Parts: sequence; structure tokens; C-alpha cells
Amino acid sequence: MIDYRLTSVLRAYRAALGILLPADFHRRFAHQMIAVFAEVEADARSTRGALGAVAALAAELPGLARLAIRERRAERTRRAHLPQNPPRSGNVLDSFVQDIRFAARSLRRSPAFTLVAVLTLALGIGANTAIFSVVDGVLLRPLPLRHPEQLVAFGEQALSVPGAISVTSPANLFDWRRSSHTMQVAGFADRSGTVVAHGEPQLLVGTQSIGGLMPLLGVPPLFGRLLVDADEDPASPPVIVLSYGTWRDLFGEDRGALGKSITMDGTPRAIVGVMPPDFSFFGGPSAFYVPARFDAEFRENRDQYFIQPVGRLVKGATIEQVRAEMETIAARLRHDWPVFNTNLKIVVQPLQETIVGGSRTQLMVLMGAVAFVLLITCANLGNLLLARASGRRREIAVRQALGAGHGRVARQLLTERLLLAFIGGALGLVVGKLFLDLLLAAQATTNLPRADEIALDRRVLGFAFALSTAAGLLFGSVPAWQLSRGPSSDALRDGSRGSSSHQWTRSALVVAEVALAMVLLTGAGLLLRSFDLLQRVDPGVRREQLLTFSVRLPKQDPTFFPRAVERIRALPGVRSAALVSQLPVTGRGIGAWFNRIDRPLPAGVNPVGEAYRVVTPDFFETMGIALQKGRRLETTDTRETPVVVVNEALVKKYYHGEEPLGKPIYLGAPDNRLFRQGQIVGVVSDTRDAGLGSDALPTVYIPLAVMPTWPAFFFVVRTRQDPASIVGAARAAIRELNATLPVRNVQTMDEVLSEAVAPARWSTTLLGVFAGVALVIAVLGVFGVLSYIVTQRTRELGIRIALGATPRQLRRMVVGRGLGLVLTGIVFGLAGAAVLTRFMASLLFGVTATDPVTFIGVAALLAAAAVIASYLPARRATRVDPILALRAE
Amino acid sequence: MSENQSRSPGPPSAQVFHILLSLVDDDLHGYAIIQDVAARTDGEVRLTASTLYAAMKRLLESGWIEERTTRPAGAADDPRRRYYRLTKAGREVARAEARRLEQLAAMARAKRLLPPLGVVNAKGSRA
Repeated sequence: MIDYRLTSVLRAYRAALGILLPADFHRRFAHQMIAVFAEVEADARSTRGALGAVAALAAELPGLARLAIRERRAERTRRAHLPQNPPRSGNVLDSFVQDIRFAARSLRRSPAFTLVAVLTLALGIGANTAIFSVVDGVLLRPLPLRHPEQLVAFGEQALSVPGAISVTSPANLFDWRRSSHTMQVAGFADRSGTVVAHGEPQLLVGTQSIGGLMPLLGVPPLFGRLLVDADEDPASPPVIVLSYGTWRDLFGEDRGALGKSITMDGTPRAIVGVMPPDFSFFGGPSAFYVPARFDAEFRENRDQYFIQPVGRLVKGATIEQVRAEMETIAARLRHDWPVFNTNLKIVVQPLQETIVGGSRTQLMVLMGAVAFVLLITCANLGNLLLARASGRRREIAVRQALGAGHGRVARQLLTERLLLAFIGGALGLVVGKLFLDLLLAAQATTNLPRADEIALDRRVLGFAFALSTAAGLLFGSVPAWQLSRGPSSDALRDGSRGSSSHQWTRSALVVAEVALAMVLLTGAGLLLRSFDLLQRVDPGVRREQLLTFSVRLPKQDPTFFPRAVERIRALPGVRSAALVSQLPVTGRGIGAWFNRIDRPLPAGVNPVGEAYRVVTPDFFETMGIALQKGRRLETTDTRETPVVVVNEALVKKYYHGEEPLGKPIYLGAPDNRLFRQGQIVGVVSDTRDAGLGSDALPTVYIPLAVMPTWPAFFFVVRTRQDPASIVGAARAAIRELNATLPVRNVQTMDEVLSEAVAPARWSTTLLGVFAGVALVIAVLGVFGVLSYIVTQRTRELGIRIALGATPRQLRRMVVGRGLGLVLTGIVFGLAGAAVLTRFMASLLFGVTATDPVTFIGVAALLAAAAVIASYLPARRATRVDPILALRAE
Repeated sequence: MSENQSRSPGPPSAQVFHILLSLVDDDLHGYAIIQDVAARTDGEVRLTASTLYAAMKRLLESGWIEERTTRPAGAADDPRRRYYRLTKAGREVARAEARRLEQLAAMARAKRLLPPLGVVNAKGSRA
């Protein structure tokens, strides 16, 4: 039990000992103190959790500070051989320690203020810490590979998304590998395989290494060896390298696994190595690595596109040189292989950019949002401190009168703010950790790349520390400066009021808060409207009472899927069941060149690849996809008489104004067709396959009978009652046919659709929460400054009442003041929002970045909030007793 | 705040006295002392690692306690734990202090500040 882990709290304690204790004492006792504190902390943690641990640390600090002061003083006395204390004034540390003690006392004297300040700071810093952890892990930190800056992703420019990189064919990859002098080239492809582990078949998703991928990445194995070029020889024995996670799951971290063999899809493979736990190279986990074993013929294949190339710049080469070289190579390929490479254009990008580029905008918007929240928090704290400062003017005036210099007083006040900021920061770390855990749990479905590399580590701690310091300086400097500057003799007199410069500063701070909140609310509003519109998009399928799951066959068996779908259909409670090679709304899926036989393209012009899906005849009815024209697929459609159904998007693109029905087509390259030729017999309505926010993709539906060897299918099952109720029976039905097949991705269509908007929901929720916090803080700020003004002007209000002002007039005066502040803030906020929302344009759907409805709505919301916030102070203004107000002089 | 210097002849501070008391019948390690003091005082005196070692240094320098070179029987736990023992001098100081407190209490009793002996419970002051 005493074998303590070095928790962050423990680390903080150790660091504090190192900083505070004099060397002698530290050498003698620090390790024992840490051991004792470790037990105290472990106890607190086990009874009260992480907060208890932090509380234990907080309880240590006063004693530690006293100890440090006494021991340092004793040490100095001993060293100087002086009987009396050294002069105080000269010692920086001494006066610093004095400042801290004073600050701590002063904070303890006003617990309510301290609590509010620390909690808001903790929220602000916590949110920043959590989002920074994500940004750091995903965007900033270099990939965990050897010299990651030398790694590039490259490949043919994808036709669908300009600038994106498409996969390539084996022949292209080996061409590039041979011809490039500026980089080493390798490639990889996804590869899944079924193994039987713990008595259950499991489908593992791994990576196929092509052309010596692993040595190129340069991460040594945990033990054993990497895959090398020689493993890719089809004559060599089949081998496999496991990820750390797979090794742990299958072998319980037994190093004896090395040399054993593992049977994957029926083939035994020798385990030659295990990778370290943090190895991850393309932004996500991979369960295993196997070498590609292409035969000579397949190495020349030019029409199977599935390889993602990776390159490592040779010493001294730049990415521009690589780009120039690849352009030369592309030109030669276009010339040598016109059939395949007419439009060939090669894109070269840093590997990191390829992996994380897609999430940059989303994360930067969030980072900006939390930065704004912290700024608002700081402005608000500055305001709170100013209010408090009015109360402390006398205290400070006394100190100044007793000889404290302006600088000393300012430093003292700043120390107090910094202490506040650091306490807030320490608590912020706890908040940040909780928040990060929530974020990561919620992002499991959002496909954030490199999510496994996100951690609250030393870099993040450093960030939080720097942020706390910055925040403390920011909200602390204004009041400290203002206070220490003020003429001291005035304050010593009774009945003095806050100077007008205070009021001005406070108003300016509130305007800033409102402006910042306005920007945040606008951003959140835009995302919210996008999300709302996105959810109203008709996905093109009927989502109710639809169960989906997938099965992948390790070996060809053309009879399996037809038999399986029959069994599922026969289950009680099932209305209909069908198969599809990829679910609607889950991505484009596989594609092939689309060719109209009745209108061949001119020589040298390449056809365009279009998506296709292999389905059983019942698919459209089961999914609720409407037939627009012609007929559905029938069980009588066979490989001998191939027919296809297409969607409206395809008709629009290829048969604009023509009759598509009856037209012959084929998919694939002229010498490598999916089927020889087929007729379009029906047109169905579109589904949003590339995502709800994207246009429908032209799609061809091919009957299973035409492509009977397709290896993996999703089952779609329309049920009579709750779809979850038939999961067990469906699993059993598959198991009866083949007990070694894992049933995967069991989800209702509702869940599938909900996952499709998960990334948008993630950023919308987060920004919404941040904007809500900003709104609350800004409203509190308005409330605070108006209350302050009312208090300051009690005398004036008393006179007004005495002179006959009605409550209505007084209310209008105060509310008008509040509204004035807020409107000024809104004007600045509108300008800021107009500039800043442009950066989030790519996250929006259906609204522009300057959507007037959102802008006006948010402004109205803020104004309404301001009126509400002004009401209480306004009411108080009407209740001022004129006699009391005047007598108070 | 117990800021009296270690070698000054005055009475030991309450914390120091409690640590000495903890070591009277058993040699303990740091965390055990904290627990013992907390248990004995019903949580009223709570030492932290820092306050404990601030006192321990003075106790060691005054020669009132010493570190054990051997580990007590049955202490087959963590090797990082250091065990401390009351020295003869320490026992004397603790006893002298207890006597002083007793005399003080007797004076208070004589003045009827406290009820006569026999009525008071173990935690006297907390009546």
C-alpha cells in the first residue's frame, strides 16, 4: 500500500520542498517528508478522491512555508555568524515571504470573495488546461516517430476534395519508390484479421506494411524486431508484429509470445516483435502490423487503389525539392501510362498536417473560446478587486503613511493577486483533469486523430502555470496600480467616495466583458444554428426500428451471406432484413471508375470514380429508400444478366435530361471490370452518405448476386418492436452458421445517425457551454458595476429623491446606465464577431459566418440579460432613504 | 504558532510534547506519529508532514529523540520509513513537562478554575 505512485499532487509537494527548503534541511528530511506525505495523500485520496488529495496538499502549505522561513533564517544566521537578525529591507526573499504571508491573511479575511475568485479562476484555467491538452496532444506535439519533421504524406490528389491525398496503386508506389532521390518511400494499408482469443472470435484492425514501412518510421520495437523488406517476399514465412495493446490482451504481457504463432484468418503467423505502448503513427491505434506479400504480378497492378504512401526526406532535402521531383515523376507517368494517369497530380504534405489538418479549425475555435472565457473571468475579477479596493483604501493609506513606498504597496497587492491566481490555477488543474476526462469520453465517437496521445502532462502543467501567472498579472495589475497611486491623505478622511477613475475603469472592464461574451455567444449561436439545420437534414433513410451490424468473412464463401440474411429474416419480430457493403451516411466507401457504354469518353480522358454499394434486393425497402423510377432489384437478377440501380445524384451528373433507364454501364478499368456490363433498371432517392452536411454522392447499387464474393457486409434489419430486443437472436443465428465469426458494430440506425453528427455536436456543446459561462460572468459583471455605482451615488440619489424624483425615473436612470454599458459592449462585440467568426466558416452548415439572424438574436439576448441584471440595483436605488443618505456625511 | 527556538530552555511546544508522548511506549515512523497524535487528540491536533519534520529536526538536535538503526520486529513494510525512539533525555523532558502541566492544573484547581480531581475526564480541557 505504501508503494506510492508519483501522483501530480505528490510531484507538486516534492517540487515545493525543492524550491522552499534550504539545502541542508532538504538533504536531511525531504525524502522522509515525501514518504510521509505520500501516505497522508493516499489516505485522503482513498476517502475523498482527487479533491481530498489536493486538500491534503493545501493543508501542508502553511506549515511548509513557516518551516521554510525559519530554516532559511536559521541557516543564514549560522552562515553569517551574526548573533542578530540580518537587516530586513535588503532581503528580497524575506520581504517576498512576508508579502505572501500577508496576502494569505488578507485573503482569509474575506472568504466569500476569495471563494468566488478562486472558483471562477479554476473554471477558466481548468477549461483552458483541458482544451490545451487536446490542442497540444493533437496539433502541437510532434508525431511520436523518429525525426517526424522529415516525414511526408504524398499521393495523387483526391478528386473529391481538392488538396486532399488519395490512396494509390501498388505499381505507382513501387514506381515512386524506385524513382525518388529526395525521399525514401513506403506505404501502408488498413488490414483487418480475425483471431480467436479467450474462446471468442475477435476482429482486429491493423496495418499492412508495404515497402519497409516500419524501418522508415524509425520507432524501435519494445522487443523482438520490426518488419523488414525481406518479410514482404511471398516465399518467406508469414510473420506479424503486435501492438502493445494486442500483446497485453492476448498474451497478458508474456514475453514468451515472441516466436509463438498466432492464427489470423486461418493462417498461422510467427510473432517476431511487439511495439512499445505509445507507438502510433497515423493518428490512431493499430492492433498489429503484417507485411504485404504481393506477388510480381500484383506489384505491377495499376487499378487497385488502396495504398497510402509515406516518405522520409533524405538528409538535406526539402519538401519543395520533393514536390518538384514528384511533379517530374508524375509527368513521366502521365506520358508512360496515359490510360491510368491522365489527370495525375501528386500532392506532398508534412505527415502531421495530413493527420491532424482536418481538426485544426475545430480545435483552434475551441481554444479561442476558452481563451475568451478566461479573459472575461480576468476582467470580472479585476472588477471585483476594484470594488474590494475601495474598501481597502484606508488600510493602504495607513501603510503608505507609515512609510511603505508605492512600489512596495503595489508589489504587496500584486502578490495577493498572484497568490489568488495560483490557488485558482492549482484547483484549475483538478477541474481541467475532470473536464478533460469528460471531453475524451465524449469524443470517443468524434474521430479526433491522435486522441490516445492526449494527456495532462508536464507541458500542460507548465501551460497552466504560465496561464495562472498571466491571469494574475492581468486582473491584478490594474487595481494594484490604481490603488498604490491614489493620494493617501484623501482616503484617510471619512466619507470619501471611489474616485471617478475607478468608475471609468470598472465600466470599461464591463464593456470589455460584454464584447467578449458577445463574440463567444455569436460563435456558439452560429454553431447551434448549423447543428440544428444539420439535424433537420433528411438522411434519406427511415431511422426507426432498424438494427445494423456487420460480419466479415475471412475466407470466400459465396453461400454464407445469402443464408445468413435468410435466417435473420426468419427471426420472430423481424419485418425485413437485407445486406449492404457499407451503411448509408457512414462515408463514401469504395468506388470505381464509372463508364457509360453508350457514350465512351474520348481517348486520353479518364473516367471519374464513383461510389458503389453491393446490396441484396430488399435493401431499399428495408432502409426506407424510395424508388423514384423503374424497378427495384429482384432475386431474379443474377451475374449472368447484371443490372444495377443508381441514385438521383448519379442521374443528375451523368444523365442530365436523358432517360437513364435501360442504359448500359460498367464499373472499373476497361480490362478489369467489376462486371462486364449492366443495365440501369431503377433510380432511387439519395442518401447523405458523405455526412449529413455534404451533398449526396452519385452511387451505383449492385446486387449481391452480381458480386457474390464480396467479403464483408452490414446487415440491416427492420424490426416490429425495439431493435435492441433481437440482438441476441441475431448473434445466435450468425453463430449457428459459423461459430468463429465475430458480429461487430451492433448499432441501431438511430445511433449510426447520431454518430454522424457527433463531431458537430461535440464542438457545438463545448462552445455552447463556454458561451453560457461567458454570458453568466458578463451579466454578473454588469450587475456588480451597477450595484457599485448605486452605492457610490447614494448621496446623489438621496438628493434626487428629496427633490421629488419618482422611483420610475430613478429606475430608468440605473437601467439606462446598464443598458448603455451593454450596448457599447455589443457594438464592440459585433465588430469582433464579424471579424472572428470568419475563421469558423468551415465548421458551419447552412448559415454564413455573418448570419444576421444569429447576430441580432445574440445582441437581443445580451441586452435582455443586461436589463435583468440592472433591475436589482435599480430597485435598490429607489429605496434609498434620503434622510439617511444625507446624514451619512 | 510555535516559533520558540530549539535550544531555548523553555517548555516544549504543544506539538513537540505530543510527538514525545507518541513515542513514550512505542517506536514509530513519521506517518504513525501523525496518526497517533490525531487519534489521541480526537483530531484536534493535526500534524502535517511539514510541521512534523519542523519539530523532528529540533527534537533530533536537542537529543530528545533518535533514529533507530534497526527496524522494529514486524515492521516488514516500506524501507523508506524511518523509525524514531525517545531518548532518556527526551523521556525526562516529557516527564518534566507533564509534571509542569500537572502543577499548573493543580494550581488552577486550587483556584476552583477546574473542578476537583476525579470528576474530570481524560480530555480535561474539553469539559
